[in-house]
Amino acid sequence: MAKKYSITNNIRKLRFFANEMTQQELAEKAGVSRQTIIAIEAGKYSPSLELAFRIADVFGVTIGEVFAYQVKQD
Amino acid sequence: MSYQEKRTVVGILSGIAILAAYCLYTFNRYAAGAVTPGDLKFWATTMLIFIGIGIVASIVIQIVFHIVLSISIAVTKTIHNQAVDDKEIEKNINSEMVEDERDRLIELKSNRVGFIFAGIGFVAALFALVFDYSPVVMLNILFISFSAGSVLEGFAQLYFYRRGA
Repeated sequence: MAKKYSITNNIRKLRFFANEMTQQELAEKAGVSRQTIIAIEAGKYSPSLELAFRIADVFGVTIGEVFAYQVKQD
Repeated sequence: MSYQEKRTVVGILSGIAILAAYCLYTFNRYAAGAVTPGDLKFWATTMLIFIGIGIVASIVIQIVFHIVLSISIAVTKTIHNQAVDDKEIEKNINSEMVEDERDRLIELKSNRVGFIFAGIGFVAALFALVFDYSPVVMLNILFISFSAGSVLEGFAQLYFYRRGA
């Protein structure tokens, strides 16, 4: 059976280490709505590659430090 | 509830109101005997008028909604922070109304739901003709399925906003 994968993210942790950056601040810097940041953080929406790069750029880290592609744990 | 969800709810309500108004108007006229079953001109004219009303009403409702929303954001911000200035309020309003890739994806997905429903309605309308129903029935199935499809599109949009796209 094929493995199931999911995209996880460290946005909450990165926001904490970025001087407790608010979701609104991140949204403004990444050029999206706060609801989109909330959805990404909650794993309800997988951003486009471009947005993923923009979010990584806001924190000054690589895309791999923000998002991870992992085998789904059931 | 986010700005997009509120806007969708307003769209759904206005869509339902217009559909209900059409049903009430036409079926009352029909029940009163003012329309003969084969009077295609009446039905076509009524549908065109309601399409026009629908377009104008949805534009007006969206404008009123944006004005009310802007006022409510400004009032809420002023109550919570007395020293806030106009530019700050404007910035808040603009940030609430940002439309991004997720909104576009949700719009596309919900459009598909609406079009599938309208497509089924079109096929049902053709079947109505095949089974010897009058063209008026066919026209009404078409009109109602397209209108209901747009309402369903709104519900799908709401679902994707809540459950994730």
